[in-house]
Amino acid sequence: MNGLLQKVYDFVDERIDLKTLEAKMMNEPIKGGSRWAYVFGSCLLFIFIMQVITGILLMFYYIPSADHAYASTQYIIHEVDYGWFILSYHFWGSSAMVVMVFAHMSQVFLWGAYKKPREMIWLVGLVLFVIVMAFGFTGYLLPWDQRAYWATTVGVEIMDKTPIVGDFLARFLKGGPTPGQMTLSRFFVIHVMILPAALMGLAGLHLFLFRSAGPAGPFRGTPEELRAKTDFFFPRQVWKDIVAIAVVFLTICSLAFIEPVQLLEQATPDPGDYHPEPEWYFLFLFQMLRLKVFSGELGQFVAGVAIPGAFLLLLAALPFIDRSPERNIFKRPIALLSWTVVTIGILVLTVSAILNREFLE
Amino acid sequence: MAHPVESISSIKLAWAVSWSAFWTGFPFKLIVALLLLAGQVHPWEGAGLVTLLVVSVPIDIWAVGLTARTVFLERLGMEVQGPVGVTLWWQGAVLGALVLGGAYYVVGTTVAVGRKIAAAIIALIKNVYPTLPIAEQITLELLLWTIPTAIVVLVCVLIWLQLFGWCVKRFVVTSGQTTSASLLERVRQWDYARVPADPTLVLVSFAGVIVTLTVVFWVLLPVTTPTPHPDYPLPPVEKAAKPVKPEELIKKTEATLEKAEAVLTALEKEKSKETKKGKGK
Amino acid sequence: MASLQPKIKSKVRCVDGEVGEIVHVIADPLSLDVSHIVVRANGTERQVPVSAIGAIRGESVELTCNAAQFSGFPELKRQDYVSSKEVEIPHLENRIHVEPGELLVPFPELEKNCARRSFFAGFINVIGALIALPLVWPVLRYIMKPMYVPYDNHWIKIGNISKVKAEDVGVQYIFKKSFKDSVLQREEDKNHWMVKASPETLKKIYPHGDIHFYDEKGEIIWVNKQTVPYVAFSGKCPHLGCGYKWRSHKTRGQVFLCPCHLSIYDVAGTVLDGPAPRPLDVLPIKVSASGDIEVIDVEYKAGRKEQIRIA
Repeated sequence: MNGLLQKVYDFVDERIDLKTLEAKMMNEPIKGGSRWAYVFGSCLLFIFIMQVITGILLMFYYIPSADHAYASTQYIIHEVDYGWFILSYHFWGSSAMVVMVFAHMSQVFLWGAYKKPREMIWLVGLVLFVIVMAFGFTGYLLPWDQRAYWATTVGVEIMDKTPIVGDFLARFLKGGPTPGQMTLSRFFVIHVMILPAALMGLAGLHLFLFRSAGPAGPFRGTPEELRAKTDFFFPRQVWKDIVAIAVVFLTICSLAFIEPVQLLEQATPDPGDYHPEPEWYFLFLFQMLRLKVFSGELGQFVAGVAIPGAFLLLLAALPFIDRSPERNIFKRPIALLSWTVVTIGILVLTVSAILNREFLE
Repeated sequence: MAHPVESISSIKLAWAVSWSAFWTGFPFKLIVALLLLAGQVHPWEGAGLVTLLVVSVPIDIWAVGLTARTVFLERLGMEVQGPVGVTLWWQGAVLGALVLGGAYYVVGTTVAVGRKIAAAIIALIKNVYPTLPIAEQITLELLLWTIPTAIVVLVCVLIWLQLFGWCVKRFVVTSGQTTSASLLERVRQWDYARVPADPTLVLVSFAGVIVTLTVVFWVLLPVTTPTPHPDYPLPPVEKAAKPVKPEELIKKTEATLEKAEAVLTALEKEKSKETKKGKGK
Repeated sequence: MASLQPKIKSKVRCVDGEVGEIVHVIADPLSLDVSHIVVRANGTERQVPVSAIGAIRGESVELTCNAAQFSGFPELKRQDYVSSKEVEIPHLENRIHVEPGELLVPFPELEKNCARRSFFAGFINVIGALIALPLVWPVLRYIMKPMYVPYDNHWIKIGNISKVKAEDVGVQYIFKKSFKDSVLQREEDKNHWMVKASPETLKKIYPHGDIHFYDEKGEIIWVNKQTVPYVAFSGKCPHLGCGYKWRSHKTRGQVFLCPCHLSIYDVAGTVLDGPAPRPLDVLPIKVSASGDIEVIDVEYKAGRKEQIRIA
């Protein structure tokens, strides 16, 4: 068996120089050695692949029509063997992706790995971040229960408040003036075809740019320390990546067991007793919109679109504003402070949104 | 000449050892927790929690031993003989139990008092500013009691780290010997120590354990959702169909057929009568 | 200061004379600059730090030391280095203009241990199995759920025997079959052929006596008695499932004729001509007292000599 494998390997190697290709891909020396802090990017890739696999499986039974979306989702949960597990994995995987995106972005920010010469990797990464949030937003509608329908309706209405392009954007997403079959079809196509293609293309670009620039490595350490610990991407960093991936996989499975997906009633134009709410990673924005200072049409636009948009633009401008080559986070007080404030702010607003539920009863 | 342990603070040393040890043991505990969950047992309460804690003991002892030896070698340039894991583990566990007991009381009090004070402050604000909106009130109240609580929790953690750090330092001073190896050699030493003497045996056993646990997982995993909806009852177990007795069936069929033929003949007679009548008219 | 760009095959001179030529250039992966040149002199290859280079003039390099000091430089340990082709260090070959293959970089200390490399490579595979293996069984069951559904054995009323006027003539019964198709409740038009068989035809239809019908467990669910003249043939041709017709043939008289591949059956369902592998399939039939016909809509695999029930 080994001899046969070796023969196949030699056959391919003779034609495409597989040995050199392998060496180039695997023997990337990492200054200061492989690190657990570098695993978040690979974890993101794994979560995405699992979402594609579970998503494709769900498409075996899901029917994207307003008549049957709910029934077919319930069919997956209640009638297909292990359907509840596949759907719950897909649901919790999407939450895991958002958490991991935040972890990855934070790690890159704190390590100063957005600075020269890595500006383009950072910019492509920001677009990837927006795509991940769009995935969460579009996928949420597909079960077509009350929670899905109303979270989407509220979200699209917020976008409508954007001046000039708001109405066009809202009508494009809804496929009309009001939400209905066209909304579901559009969200389905965007979620299943457009966003995956965009993500795969940009992730490829992100990886190519990363390999061109090389890993930034640790932000402190004498050359002697860095040299002593240097090792190759394969096997040590790959091993750390795959252990982290296994932990992520087991965690998502555990969440699927602890809280399997349960649908509310089928979507109706009357919310009844149900209080519309977006998915948890948008709750902080949702709570911000509730603040008195943002009441009124202009206020809703500012809180819902302008502030998040401005924040993204600030992040995009970051490598060009912050040109200091210092990468040690403990020597960059503004960066450390801003990251802490933003993270705690998001956390506090999210918890506030959860506490606010009691006041709505 | 200062002892190498002086080069690092107790808190930093304790952090280096315990943070790494926690994450080293985590994947194994996660596998146990997942198997409990697949068997519909909650790992955070009752029998599940007891199982998890019992299993954690050997895992943590191994993890603490591994990370402590690595930190001592690389950061302090010291080698330690003897049972590193067991010694440091029980010391850390005893300290943890003490600090946890104290922290439970202190943090609990802080939360209770903090929430009362926060509510009082909000009431005060509302006296001056009656139209304080709900959203703002919620966030303000939350911040008022979580900030002191967070500080208290942080202090408790630092206390444990400081105490544990002293234990670790004392252990290193009494049981450790300095090594004269260069940084490169020390890094190589702890890195190569990760490679077992018989890699094939270790890998094959790992693979065997994984295959076994996977099969257990498959057996435990519920086929239908553990949270069924009342509108979607499970398909009822089919009642045993009454076995068909061929002779009875044949007799029944013959009887029915005779009746049917009789009905048909009667109908045809009727029809021909009517046609005759019709022709006659 | 521009980085030094010594060329392979350049002649190397000490202050007191020529010593040899450059055979390798060694770069530091951290600074991406040349750290040493390797000079072959009298058959030995010596590693000379760049600090010893005085000047580079085209194809010749001048060292600041003399020949005696030169012999003090260490010999190259080739196993401590890898060529730049075997590693991935971004921008290295842009900065140092040397023919690829002769630019060397230090081989990381930790990577020199083969056992370490193969152990972790194996470990990666084992953890990969930890992730992939648990999914195999649930995913297979998930995909296969609708593939082997139990047989549908319920009786469907398709019409009344009053439609059959004569013996040994095929009469088509078209009916609507209502069924649950995953989450959809659907209705399909189906057809079967009824024959009121004469005793000779009946003997041809039931050559081995009564026909028994079984469920998946092997239990009998119905028996068609050979004396009952009413016979229902499945409307699907046993060749490939097409719908066949009752037609007058040029030479064979009235027959069942399938338009797809021209299988021809007589009124007893026996194959007269064409690619049909077996005679027309007989369905379980029940006739009520008022003449209502009920059948079980049994389906068999097309194209096989034996009857293999699929629905």
